[in-house]
Order: sequence, then structure tokens, then C-alpha cells
Amino acid sequence: MLLPDHQYVRVDSLKDCLKSLRENGERTHVVAGGTDVIFNMRLRLFQPDIALSIRRIAEIKQVEELADGGLRIGAGCRLVDLAENALINERYPAFADSIRAVASSHIRNIATLGGNICLKTRCWYTNNSEQWRQGVKECFKTDGDLCHVIKSSSLCHAINNADTPLPLIVLGAVLTLQREGESRDVPIADFYQKDGMDHTVLKADELVTHVTLPPCADRTVFLKIAARKGMDFSQAAIAARASGTGTKAGEVSLVLGSISMAPIVLHEPARLIAEQGITDAAIEQAEEKVRAELGELTSLYARAGYKAHLAKVLVRRALKALREM
Amino acid sequence: MAKHLISLTINGDTYEDLVVSDNQTLLDVIRGEVGLKGTKRGCTTGACGVCTVNDANGDAILSCMTHVLEWDGEAITTIEGLADTSDLDAIQKAFVHYGAVQCGSCTPGVIMSAKALLNTHPQPTEEQINEAMAGVLCRCTGHVKVKEAIRNAHRIEEVVSHAAGD
Ligand SMILES: Cc1cc2nc3c(=O)[nH]c(=O)nc-3n(C[C@H](O)[C@H](O)[C@H](O)COP(=O)(O)OP(=O)(O)OC[C@H]3O[C@@H](n4cnc5c(N)ncnc54)[C@H](O)[C@@H]3O)c2cc1C
Repeated sequence: MLLPDHQYVRVDSLKDCLKSLRENGERTHVVAGGTDVIFNMRLRLFQPDIALSIRRIAEIKQVEELADGGLRIGAGCRLVDLAENALINERYPAFADSIRAVASSHIRNIATLGGNICLKTRCWYTNNSEQWRQGVKECFKTDGDLCHVIKSSSLCHAINNADTPLPLIVLGAVLTLQREGESRDVPIADFYQKDGMDHTVLKADELVTHVTLPPCADRTVFLKIAARKGMDFSQAAIAARASGTGTKAGEVSLVLGSISMAPIVLHEPARLIAEQGITDAAIEQAEEKVRAELGELTSLYARAGYKAHLAKVLVRRALKALREM
Repeated sequence: MAKHLISLTINGDTYEDLVVSDNQTLLDVIRGEVGLKGTKRGCTTGACGVCTVNDANGDAILSCMTHVLEWDGEAITTIEGLADTSDLDAIQKAFVHYGAVQCGSCTPGVIMSAKALLNTHPQPTEEQINEAMAGVLCRCTGHVKVKEAIRNAHRIEEVVSHAAGD
């Protein structure tokens, strides 16, 4: 099936891109690698007037070393290039693992970091063909006022399924968002919102241009559970970070993804481990504290009970992995 | 809808003044306007990989997931571009020799994925093969022979002549 009618516009510079977004942001869908946009356009879920291709903007395709030992990565970098980047592998191994966990090599060969960070939430009621959708009532995503996942909810419960944001959150990454004549830095931890419709703070006339990673000497890990290792979206994933060595860990962070509308930062389990160290007893106690922080779970893509189970399992595995590092 | 003129190099042949529209994908034009039917249309959602072609770097990409206008002025290789007039590519010979084909529908996508891997890793490890081939599916469950062919592509002349008893 052909894509729906629209105008394809390609911009070769950031300046032209921001100008175009100022003029037509509301009617535009940005296309980076296009691996999600084209798919959803084909489903008629996205029907923008304009598809704005940013693939050739050179200013957002570089990885720069910062004086403090951190990195500044252009949002337009291809995932394949980042996965092979020596500096990323050396300094941010969990981030590198999360990049390699995205989809297949075919998709990583064209998909970008910015596209992964901005990936729209997904739902099996809407990310389906137009004909299929005709069989169900319109929902928030299709201009209705209902969520099929939790019928009584006033929110869309579609899942944030992106892998790379999780390590970026534990690493304290900061996103640079630009609009014409203006730039703002937003910690990625504050970028996502618990709303399947309005899932980030990005405005229609803004572009994510860079991701800045501060230096990190701590142990980090990324783990993903999916039906197949290559290709599938996460059923649940985790990024974890701990200072110290062995069981000693002064600072700990744990972030779960793919089970809700936004990544979930686990406060209490992390505090517990930081206090008691990564011992078997503390891990067991931390696991018990996980469910309370997941909030309302849905049976979208996997049963709610199974998601709660996976969350615990991932916390345990991640902490044990950190302890061995 | 507006029409555009683009230039696209496919398998070394430059198609000047191809008339395309905004809503066509690379796959639509390879099969339609250009008429090369080797590249298959499968799921068109990025999950099956049968539309795989190689970009100018030799990387495997999905031609169904990208606007054709994105490729204006660029060069790609499709399955038709692997063999020259006199001889098959090593990976094609390996597929023939190991019988790595059943119904054949996925074969162009599988071979172009394998070709992309062999471009950078002529003697790939098991893990590299699994990773490179994860994005393309054979529904006849022919993955074992496909992997055998990829593993042996680098020495296929030797394998074939040995089998022929030379
Ligand atoms: C079969 C299949 C499997 C997949 N598996 C995974 C997986 O395992 N894990 C995973 O995380 N994803 C997966 N994906 C989704 C997707 O391919 C990836 O998330 C990919 O990284 C998206 O990048 P892209 O450049 O192609 O994004 P695009 O499709 O170009 O864009 C995605 C979204 O981000 C917006 N956007 C892109 N760049 C910017 C920017 N710089 N500033 C502001 N907005 C921007 C676009 O407007 C769009 O809404 C899968 C997709 C398919 C088809």
C-alpha cells in the first residue's frame, strides 16, 4: 500500500529545519531514519501534511569529545555508527548495549538516536492497519476520547517502548532542544511524561539536536527481555548504575522501561541498596519494593502481572550484574 | 500530488529523471518505475526484511521503510546487481551449493543481508551471522542452510571444485 498523500520536504541544514518547523510545525512530522514514521504513516496512524526529512543535516551527525570526559552526540547519528563508536563503548557500555538492542541491524543502519529518544508510544489497538482499527472505537490516538487499555481512564496508556532512553536517564544525559532562535537544555529524566498522547515535553516547532553525556566512572548495565533477541521490542528493560565496587554502592539508580507510558525511575529499591550494599538480602528487599513504584499496570503487549514479575526479575538481574563488575 | 524528478543509481546504472511522487518508498520505485522485481515486497512494516537492498556503504537497509526522495542522487545495490554477466557472486554460489533456498521468496532479502555482512566480515562468527540475519525471516525455516552458505562464502570456489572432484 502506498503511503498517504503528503508533501516530502528535505532540509540540509539545521537553520532550514528550524525555519520549516516554525512555519509548519503543527502540520509536520519529522522523519529521521523513518523506521517508525513510515510504518505509522502506512497504517494511516500518522497523516501529516508534511514529512520533514532531517537525515542530511550534518550539524546533528557528530560525536564530540568534551573536555570533562563526557560526550556530545548529535541526534541525527545512526544507531549503527553509535554502536560501533569506540568512545561510547569504552565510556558508556550500557548505553552501547541498549543501542545494539534496538530492532535489527537493518533498522539500526538507518534509524537514529533522536528517533529512538522521540519514538512515539505504541499500542496494539492503534499501531495496526486502518481496516483493523475500523473494528474498534476511536481512541485518544485516533481522535476519540477513550483508552481501550483502561476504558475508564482519561489518559492514553500506550507504551513507551524505546530502549536507549533508559541508560541515558541513569547516566544523567541532557537533551538540547532547539527552535528557531532559541535553545533549551532538558535533562532526559524530565523529558518524558506519563501520558501516551503527549509523551514528551517537546513542542511542535522544536527539534532534539544533541544529547550530552556527563562523564561516568560508575558501573552500569542494560538488560532487555523480548520474545526474540534480534528484532523485537522490549517486553521490559532496565538500566542500572552503581558507584563503588563489589557489594559497596554509595549511589544507585534503577530505571525500567517498556512497561508503562514513560520510563520508571525506582526510588525506594535504589535507596535501599545504596544504604545496605548489593547483598543478596538487600536485593530481596529491593525486589519487594518494586511493585509499589510501578503504578497502574496494563495488559498491553504483556499481562500486567507478568510485567510486574519482569520488573522484579530485571531489578534482581541488574543488581547482581552490577555486583560482578 | 506533485511529481518530482530524481536521479538514482542502481547497480551502477544511473537512472536520470525518474518521475516519482512524495508518497513513494524506495521499494515502490525499484519495483515499479525501474522495474527490477528481484527486491520483494513483504510485510512493509520492517519486520520481515525481504525488501533489503544495500546502500552506498554496502549496509543492508529496508527499502520499504524509506521515502524514495530520500535517495535522490544516491547509489544502491539490489539483488540484480550482485552477479556480473558471466559469473554469480560468491554468496549466490554458496546459496546454490548449500541449497539455501526453499520457496525463494525471502532469498533476495536474505542474500542482500548476507552480502552486507560479508562486505565487512568476510569470515563472520556465529554471533555476527545471527545478528546480521536477525532482521530477515525465512518462513520455510531454512535458516540452517543459509548460515552454512554464509559461513562458507569466502571459500566457495574451493568447496565447489572439491565437491566436483577436481
Ligand atoms: C520491526 C521493528 C522493530 C523495532 N524494534 C525496536 C526496539 O527493539 N527498540 C526500540 O527502541 N525501537 C524499536 N523499533 C522502533 C524504531 O525503529 C526505533 O526506535 C528507531 O530508533 C527510530 O529511529 P528513526 O530515526 O528511524 O526514527 P523516525 O521513525 O524517523 O522517528 C521516530 C519519531 O521521532 C521523531 N523524531 C526523530 N528525530 C527527531 C529529532 N531529532 N527531534 C525531534 N523528534 C524527532 C519523529 O518525528 C518520530 O515521531 C522497531 C521498529 C521496527 C519497525
